[in-house]
Amino acid sequence: MIPTIFGVIIITFLLFNVAGGDPAMLKLGKQANAKSLEEYDIQRGLNKPLLCGLWGKTRAFSELDFKKNAGPWSQVEGILYTNKPKGRILLPAGRDYPVPMALALSPTEQYRWDFNCRLVGADKHPDTPVALLICEGSNVIKSVALNVSSSWRTFIVPVSTTPNTSNLKFKLSIQNGTLEIRSMSLGRRTRNWFDSQLCFFLKQIATLDFGVSAETNQRVSKMILDGILPSLALTVPMFFVGTIIEILLALVCAFFRNTFIDRFFVVFSVALMSVNYLVWIVFGQYFMGYAVRWFPVWGFESWRHLVLPCCIGVFSGLGSGIRFYRTVMLDEMYKDYVRTAFAKGVTRSGVLFKHVLKNAMIPILTSVVMAIPFLYMGSLLLESFFGIPGLGNLAINALNNSDVDVVRATILVGAVIYVIANLMTDICYTLVDPRVKFK
Amino acid sequence: MSESDKTEHAGRSLWADAWADLKRNRLAVFCLWIMVVFCATALYGEIVYWRYNIINANPPRFAVPIQKMFIHLLRAQQVADQIPPYLAPDMNNRYSPPSRKHVMGTDSLGRDVFLRVVQGARIAFQVGIITSLIAIPLAVLLGCLAGYFGGWIDDLVVWLYSTFACMPSLLFILAISMMVGKGLQGVYLGIGLTTCGYLCRLIRAEVIKHKELTYVRAAKTLGLGPTRIIFRHILPNVLHLVIINFSMRFPAAIETEVIMSFLGIGVQDEPSWGIMISNSRFRLWQGVWWELAFTTLAIFLIVLAFNLFGDALRDALDPRLRRQSDKA
Repeated sequence: MIPTIFGVIIITFLLFNVAGGDPAMLKLGKQANAKSLEEYDIQRGLNKPLLCGLWGKTRAFSELDFKKNAGPWSQVEGILYTNKPKGRILLPAGRDYPVPMALALSPTEQYRWDFNCRLVGADKHPDTPVALLICEGSNVIKSVALNVSSSWRTFIVPVSTTPNTSNLKFKLSIQNGTLEIRSMSLGRRTRNWFDSQLCFFLKQIATLDFGVSAETNQRVSKMILDGILPSLALTVPMFFVGTIIEILLALVCAFFRNTFIDRFFVVFSVALMSVNYLVWIVFGQYFMGYAVRWFPVWGFESWRHLVLPCCIGVFSGLGSGIRFYRTVMLDEMYKDYVRTAFAKGVTRSGVLFKHVLKNAMIPILTSVVMAIPFLYMGSLLLESFFGIPGLGNLAINALNNSDVDVVRATILVGAVIYVIANLMTDICYTLVDPRVKFK
Repeated sequence: MSESDKTEHAGRSLWADAWADLKRNRLAVFCLWIMVVFCATALYGEIVYWRYNIINANPPRFAVPIQKMFIHLLRAQQVADQIPPYLAPDMNNRYSPPSRKHVMGTDSLGRDVFLRVVQGARIAFQVGIITSLIAIPLAVLLGCLAGYFGGWIDDLVVWLYSTFACMPSLLFILAISMMVGKGLQGVYLGIGLTTCGYLCRLIRAEVIKHKELTYVRAAKTLGLGPTRIIFRHILPNVLHLVIINFSMRFPAAIETEVIMSFLGIGVQDEPSWGIMISNSRFRLWQGVWWELAFTTLAIFLIVLAFNLFGDALRDALDPRLRRQSDKA
């Protein structure tokens, strides 16, 4: 159980933090300005290093890959860009080049520059430093000489700020030759080695606080708590009514096995299984809600609003349910104790209800307990089409709005509840079946 | 099965036996024909799609001659710069009911529903096939390795698929495709990655059983390497599981794709069954039934055919189940 929960956490982390591109971009769109992107990142810890490390990211100067284009550098006067043989920008001598920054650096943080550059076409032994990185702020002017040569070298230049520094700007000043920059990035110092995205995420899980939704500005944990009740109000009756009907019909099949009725139910259940969930919803809303007007189509006000989605849920699950429970019953029907019971003269219905049903309880119980976590999740489609403010509705809305925090939290909570339900199944086994013992 | 039957079948392989079984099952044959018709429809849809799109395609350099050949074969020059008929609006013919000209009527922009259903079949088959191509090799490889080698590999694989089994399925698929980005790649990856756990578990269990059988021991004694034993000796004996799983996953993938494109996460700018249902569901309230009805009918038919055929296939290929159904 522990390794599985651990795995669930890793998979959600991998999906949303590593594989998932840029959640801020996904949410705010390509046109968003750097400031709002940076705020989004800070709120969610996305500007930290992934696993561990001392240097995180900042949107003030996004890490550029000059292979495709010069990025914001193309706005700087005097810059040349080449993509052959590999992308790089060229800074000819004789002027100062302001470094294009998207937003002002925060005075309370520590930063560092990371260059990979070389100098071409310069004098052999210049007396003065050829390339300078000049920091200009309200109360600092500092220039750092870059000891560039004709071979590619990486320079790391720390930027020291004091709390009253503001308006920090950078310039590259080239005296001689042409400076070629292959890559350039700005790093932000983290508080310690473990000030990382993974630790941020683990801390969120430990404190059960999943941050704030970017869409509604509500706390995600509160949104999830609010959604559970409406979800359960829909799924619990749906599930129990559905299971009872399925078991009863399966018993009917077992009772009349190899007759017309049994075969009818088998074909009927395959046909039911083949109807898409959407079709149930669309036609159910149309006929029951619109054409006959028995039930309201939308909303969550009284029990009447729940009847139609409940019926649709029951119907859509009926096919696979009947099939499953029928196999369970038929498996039991051919066991020795059933033959013995028949031989003793127990009636058909007596055997079915007293002997078979009791022994079929184990697989039935498994499937029932395994379905419990899905109850909490509600039904994604039913809820969003009937306007029931449950978790499924929440998740679908979050997906439509690219609200990553909410999606991540619902998936995580759903998976953890599933693991716990798994454990409960094992415990239930020992209660129902004395042959099963924990080792 | 009676004694005489057994001797008659003695010389046949499992596959020949299963095929004979299937041919005897009239329902299965009928379903097979439905599947063939849909498959041909999807192929036709693919041809139509490429006829209109191949000129604008931007293939890698080595594929340019192939592109040229197909431009010639499909007579794509004749329809260059034309909008494909399943996308071209015809405002004079909006909402026309089924007639001789438009067998399934037209939709809100006057586009022929039949042509769009054909294109929907194309997308559905693409999703079914590509998700299987992602999931089945992955599941077979991991299942075989875990079952054969055991030890930490086994632990790792079991941990992986039990973790994936915990994820809330539809939501997880939707989240994967959200992170990958809208479009078909998200659908492929989402469905493909999340559904391989079940097959992986089946294959692992079967391989563990086969590992102790005499033919594998004999192969080991003869000094064959693990790769050869797994892929030449054990794999053919567990392949029927893969076939059965394919016939079950195909309709499931189609249904999931319909739901995803209905929610606007699947394919963009192309007719797909989910998009068609989503477009037409409010028209139903105004009495425009044909688009919704024919789309859902198409989905129902192909899924039903696959389900029934899959059942017959399982009975034919899995001897243990066959014995049980014989008893029943």
